[in-house]
Amino acid sequence: MMASKLTRTLRDNWLLILIFIGLLVFPHAVGWLTGSSPMGVPRGDRMIMRGESVRWQAVLIELFILSILAMSYNLMFGFTGVVSFGHALFFGVGGYVLGLALEYTQMETGTALVMGILGGVAICGILGLLIGLVSLRLRGVYFAIFTLAIAEMFFIYFGRLSLTRAEDGFSITDLPQWIDPAQNRLNYYYVALILFVLTFLFIRRLMNSPTGAVFKAVRENEDRAQSIGYNTLNYKLLAITLAGMMAAVAGMLQIILNKKVGPEILGITYTVDPLVMTIIGGIGTFTGPIIGTTGLHLLETVLREATITLGPIVIRVTDIWGVLLGGIFILVVMVFPQGVVGTWARWTARSAKSEPPA
Amino acid sequence: MNNILEVRDIHTFIGQFHILEGVTVAVPQGSITVLLGRNGAGKTTTLKSIMGMTPPTRGSIVFEGQSLVGKRPYSIAQMGIGYVPEHRAIFKELSVAENLQIAERHKGDLARKADLIFELFPDLKRLYHLPGGSLSGGQQQMLAIARALVPDNRLLLIDEPSEGLAPVIIEHLMSAIRKLAEQATVLLVEQNFRMASRLADRYVIIDEGHSPASGLMADLRQDNEQIQRYLGVA
Repeated sequence: MMASKLTRTLRDNWLLILIFIGLLVFPHAVGWLTGSSPMGVPRGDRMIMRGESVRWQAVLIELFILSILAMSYNLMFGFTGVVSFGHALFFGVGGYVLGLALEYTQMETGTALVMGILGGVAICGILGLLIGLVSLRLRGVYFAIFTLAIAEMFFIYFGRLSLTRAEDGFSITDLPQWIDPAQNRLNYYYVALILFVLTFLFIRRLMNSPTGAVFKAVRENEDRAQSIGYNTLNYKLLAITLAGMMAAVAGMLQIILNKKVGPEILGITYTVDPLVMTIIGGIGTFTGPIIGTTGLHLLETVLREATITLGPIVIRVTDIWGVLLGGIFILVVMVFPQGVVGTWARWTARSAKSEPPA
Repeated sequence: MNNILEVRDIHTFIGQFHILEGVTVAVPQGSITVLLGRNGAGKTTTLKSIMGMTPPTRGSIVFEGQSLVGKRPYSIAQMGIGYVPEHRAIFKELSVAENLQIAERHKGDLARKADLIFELFPDLKRLYHLPGGSLSGGQQQMLAIARALVPDNRLLLIDEPSEGLAPVIIEHLMSAIRKLAEQATVLLVEQNFRMASRLADRYVIIDEGHSPASGLMADLRQDNEQIQRYLGVA
């Protein structure tokens, strides 16, 4: 009985398990292929983060972070139908709380890290709950505008707060050695990978549970869900609270990776990116946000250094990245109206259905 | 006879429109009562007012001795009222199984009712894991009714179950509704007078936001003048 359950899990998830193993060995594989050390280069008693392996670790860490952010956004937007334009708020507040705990308190580094993480997650959860309580009775675009206003308010406030060095932000200098991405990036890579996998598994588990079915019912028709006895407001509150907590985790990972906290982590980019990545990948699918994030992030990484030469004019791709992203977005939305994963699922379902019954 | 539901002189507005201008409906315990009337008379609004979806501004609604006015739809549902809206209101993106599961009010409701549901609607067993949206119109209607059967509802409000369905499917639905009336009191909205007259014990006529007549179905069947006046094509 146990064995058959295990075989079924393996059979249904073989591709995901394969990808997970690939991500586990990735730093070593890159190191082996390029002849660089996954630990970086030692200089004296410190490590210098130089070489292809550590460079790609940083790319993937950022990919995990953005994926967690996109998955959290999808929990609200894709699965529950709550459209928020203020998701960066949770990302940024999570980052600021951890940064403040590390740099502005007298606690010992390890304690500060733990307290900062717990505090940041709790504060973002409460923030989500409060915003939801105040505004979730508004529907559709009014709720979205409200969340945008709150997020922009925080962005402007922290951009001027002298305590946190306003627009410049402050550096993270006080970090436990073992997690410091400038010293032990490989450890940090695995921390980010594990959080990424846990987020994925948590959302999948939640959405396949009876509670998840109610989330989807609220998305499809809120009145109908009420008429069978659900206080739909509670479910939307739960969705925004959980999404806020997950986004906080992503924001914390980001400030540790950058070793810097500044108002840009509260900026609209961290709302638009998960929104666009989720739509491109597939709204309300488990892998869609990850696929959307991966596609865009890798493309940006590869093209960042590239230039286009048109006769005498040389254009750096970085300068026109926004235009390219817009073009890609329009193209994908036209070709894959339900996102890459959603449209693919529809195609395969259709071809399966058109086969004669056996 | 005891009335499980008493709607007395309710007035309901939708936006600025005064839709119900004094509707009174009494539903005796254990009966099948049907709301009859022309399109736009206010039958659906009466059901929605009972559910709290379009709350009345005046009048009283009492279910098992408790007032429903001012309660939110989900609390009204939790009191033991099942609502089957018009247009086969299922969740198309959820599977048949999920549609039934989310209707549980207590853990194990579905397990206890599964035999009854599959006896009434054998099709649903075969379609159990398909998305609701892939079902035919008749199957969706059956799922919508089955969903209202999952919890122990004592009153079922069913809005136009026969709408747009083939006669053979309507026959099947009628026998199912008759059978589920053994479990719960039914308040039905039905345009199809033939179906209504064969199914219901009692009727209430809704006409232009009023409820001018009510009584035993058996009496109405003899009363051609009444039928012509309120249900005939003007």
